[in-house]
Amino acid sequence: MEAKPLPPDDPANRPFWEGAKRGVLMLQRCLDCGRHRFPAARYCVQCHGDRSAWVETPGTGVVESWCSFHKAYWPAFERDVPYDVVQVRLDEGVRLFSNLIGTPRLGLRVRAKFEPVTSEVSLVKFVPA
Amino acid sequence: MNPQLAGRVAVAGVGTTRYGKLPEYDAYDLGVWALKAALEDCGLGFGDVDGLIINRIADYQRFGEITGINPRYTTITPGQGRFSGICIQTAVAVIAAGMAEVVALVYGNNGRSAGDHYGGASDAYGSGGAGLWFPYGMTSPGAFHALMMRRHMEEYGTTTEQLGAVARAFRRHASLNPDAVMRTPFTLEEYRAARFICEPLRLLDYCLINDGGVAMIVTSAERARHLRKPPVYVRGFAQASALAGSTFPPDDYWRAPMGRVAADVYQMAGAGPADMDALMIYDNFTPTVLFSLEGFGFCRPGESGPWVADGKLELGDQFPTNTSGGHLSESYMQGWALNVEAVRQVRGECGARQVAGANLVQYMTAAPVITSIIYGSEAAPA
Repeated sequence: MEAKPLPPDDPANRPFWEGAKRGVLMLQRCLDCGRHRFPAARYCVQCHGDRSAWVETPGTGVVESWCSFHKAYWPAFERDVPYDVVQVRLDEGVRLFSNLIGTPRLGLRVRAKFEPVTSEVSLVKFVPA
Repeated sequence: MNPQLAGRVAVAGVGTTRYGKLPEYDAYDLGVWALKAALEDCGLGFGDVDGLIINRIADYQRFGEITGINPRYTTITPGQGRFSGICIQTAVAVIAAGMAEVVALVYGNNGRSAGDHYGGASDAYGSGGAGLWFPYGMTSPGAFHALMMRRHMEEYGTTTEQLGAVARAFRRHASLNPDAVMRTPFTLEEYRAARFICEPLRLLDYCLINDGGVAMIVTSAERARHLRKPPVYVRGFAQASALAGSTFPPDDYWRAPMGRVAADVYQMAGAGPADMDALMIYDNFTPTVLFSLEGFGFCRPGESGPWVADGKLELGDQFPTNTSGGHLSESYMQGWALNVEAVRQVRGECGARQVAGANLVQYMTAAPVITSIIYGSEAAPA
């Protein structure tokens, strides 16, 4: 059976995925103004500084919205439809699209749950906090 | 925008191809077909074109080669729907600045025959970072708008039946338009029975994917007065954007930038929402119509659902909207055909779907780049 797509192997984002593999949500943080960001970028969107470091975060946030896919855009998702995608705003202000293990509602507090999909890659999913 | 420009530039010619499945034509062919029609419409020839703005067609140079034109102003823009309004505004500025006298805007789209998809592995919606979310099954502009709509439903109690009212109105209009691809009206029950693509959005909330081409000829108001058709004046135009953070839906449904565009465009036109005789609202998905009505001040934030439910957008009612059928039912020409419909309404050329006395018609797009254009039968307020 055809596999689901994996995250692009972008060297700049590897600390995020290495963190996910060991069960920690890593974000890039601007060393000039302190703003968090993901995906990785050379410059901070807020202060345009170029000094940054990857930091561990608690992986908590809120559900801002969700939708339910009835159409499978990849064959590997055919067995899942309908499935939900949630829009999560982490407490650090960074947004992610992900999947929620549970029933979504607006403002639901969630925390990251790391789901291995291959021996190398774990996805960052969420459960109610 | 400089209010001095109001009414100084006009649309002199418009041209459209057939719409639907046209596999024997590529995007260049469709553009040339539309441009020939637009030139014929205003009585000008290829040799009169001295400004060229290309959209979605891959290469401006090849387009000039195959049409034999050597403009003194040339540009090309990405094939995203928000660029139709941007291009028309650029044409107005180019004319007003004296950089060209006759600007041809040319759009060709063979997306249906080329097998374009708007989701899955080729998805590059927005800023193109979408591959990052594919592992979670997140893809497609439709899903982006489904997320916006779900949030609107949770915040304000908006319902999918209210989206159905939008889709049904545009289909009813398309039934009066011989050029429209989808012309069979449907009931609310049939809307409800349509399959979900990305819930809360159903198939009937999505725009079409089809082939076609559109062209417009823009020139000074003075020159337009001497051409074949009465000028349709650009009474107002404005633009704003919300590019920062735009991988994700905006918190405010683009209200802040739309509010700025609304203030500018109405001030320039010397008119307000209540003065509009018809509306052309970029309808990639039905929720965008609701967000646009709120953002431009036709109703209050959060109230667009009930506001559209009683037929206000239908021909014969208060604000006939997308009288051609729009992207949902006429043709997915990414804003271009809506601008042409605005021009044809102001000219009184729309036959069974004509709005009586359509003197002011407003085009608007809600997207990371927001544009609006107000077309008028007169150059200035009466």
